[in-house]
Amino acid sequence: MGDEGETMTNNVSENSEPTANQDELILAQQRQIEKEISDNIPLVGELDSVISLNKEYSTDDIYLEKIKDLASKYSYVRRTRPDGNCFFRAFSYAILEKLLCDKDSFIKFYKIAENSKNVLVELGFQQFTVEDFYDTYMEVLKRLKDIENIGEAKKELHNVFNDQGYSDYMVVYLRLLTSAQLQKEHDFYSCFIEGDRTVADFCHQEVEPMYKESDHIHIMAACSALNTGVRVLYMDRGTGNNVTKHDLPEGCSPTVHLLYRPGHYDILYP
Amino acid sequence: MSLESKYNLKSPGVKRLMREALELKNPTEEYYASPIEDNLFEWHFTVRGPPDTEFEGGFYHGRILLPPQYPMQPPNIILLTPNGRFEVNKKICLSISGYHPETWQPSWSIRTALLALIAFMPTKGVGTIGSLDYTPEERKTLAQKSQNWECTTCGKIADKLITGDTASSPALTQEESSMLQSIALKAEEDANRKETENIESAEENKEKEDDKPTRCGRMAKVFHEPDSEETSVRRRDIAESGSNEPQVEVNDMINQIQPSKDKDILWSLAIYIILFLIAILLIRRIFFM
Repeated sequence: MGDEGETMTNNVSENSEPTANQDELILAQQRQIEKEISDNIPLVGELDSVISLNKEYSTDDIYLEKIKDLASKYSYVRRTRPDGNCFFRAFSYAILEKLLCDKDSFIKFYKIAENSKNVLVELGFQQFTVEDFYDTYMEVLKRLKDIENIGEAKKELHNVFNDQGYSDYMVVYLRLLTSAQLQKEHDFYSCFIEGDRTVADFCHQEVEPMYKESDHIHIMAACSALNTGVRVLYMDRGTGNNVTKHDLPEGCSPTVHLLYRPGHYDILYP
Repeated sequence: MSLESKYNLKSPGVKRLMREALELKNPTEEYYASPIEDNLFEWHFTVRGPPDTEFEGGFYHGRILLPPQYPMQPPNIILLTPNGRFEVNKKICLSISGYHPETWQPSWSIRTALLALIAFMPTKGVGTIGSLDYTPEERKTLAQKSQNWECTTCGKIADKLITGDTASSPALTQEESSMLQSIALKAEEDANRKETENIESAEENKEKEDDKPTRCGRMAKVFHEPDSEETSVRRRDIAESGSNEPQVEVNDMINQIQPSKDKDILWSLAIYIILFLIAILLIRRIFFM
């Protein structure tokens, strides 16, 4: 893999005449990388034991120690595809999965979602594309709501989130809701944005486009848009033997637990 | 065969394109687009040259190719009518079309792409992919000629748009106008970037380390680097000065090198050793497999 990348680079620099269309070469390479990822990793995976993370770090003592600590708090992990949408996909999936076990909360959530479209249109999003995402989002929620048996509903959720078309639509709609939340409370969020970008700029560049990775600020806004809390467990090569936990918003009782490793989110289960 | 029976209507992407076809069913003064017969993923469009520019009076026809992942990924635009701004039969480089997928937003649409194309026409090309820098006169001539241009699939294109005051296209939404502004900015930025590329390249290099492969713009620059103008200019400098006062030049160079600390020398030494090792490994692999 590494060698291939190297030869590719060499070829490109040797042919670097102004006429050669390098963008196309780069895109071709990029597409190949993406294809490899999408061929090998499902959008949302099956439950796996936390200990199974060991396989990824067999020679890394720092991570192995931290996985031990993580395993003392959580039993299972559900991996998501690292395509830049992992936070939004994992968050949506985990919330809905939780709500399926609690009919009343689900109905409440459904009501909030039902009224969410107008806010987006008021903010100036194109009505007919917003409707497109909204309709699909509500269609999925309705389908889940109508299944009586919890086990079957969970199965349906899993299928929907592994159907690229639907799964991406769920991600887009949550991105739009997050963007709307940021813009609604722009005074508050503007302190978290580096540089001289406005909140609206930030949303157009970092929130609304697909495959853009999420930061703290995305998570805060997404939580507040869906009126819920999330606990993120940070696991990196930093000092200490323990994973660090962060509740967002601070002091909430989290409904969703996510594992963060640099650049990627997965779902955790007790 | 009707579109309805050919495609999986359950797929959100297909539903979306059906919706867009319906939305754009009626031509406006500025644009018209529709799927070509039996292919929902290839459209043909016509746009009117923006007034008060050298494209005024022109009609421009082209193809829109929708990727299977649409609307998660942007449409590709290809112009067919000679226009002097974009090459024909070539995918256009516009921040909204396929060459810059990272800036595309799924909440944009084919209509947005056409508006962007119209807004983008009067901007400077400056060597971006698919751009042409014809003179205003040449463009005006082409605009005149375009009125009689015909598409083999769609026929005479000047008839595709409606004329007169009776028609009013849907007003721009706030999102769209801010998008159009950002496109203009993007074009400006691209122009500036060409000029300052060499200065920036060192900084870009640092950034490259934490860059992901999704940022094609930055990567492009990295790939350009080995042949950057800066190095060739420097080479020329040395060659010129070498003939005049070699002694002074060398002294100057030594003076410059000294304050750059032993650290740098150590680093380059380390890099040479690593490169050497890689070379040995490669040779071993080639000859002793």
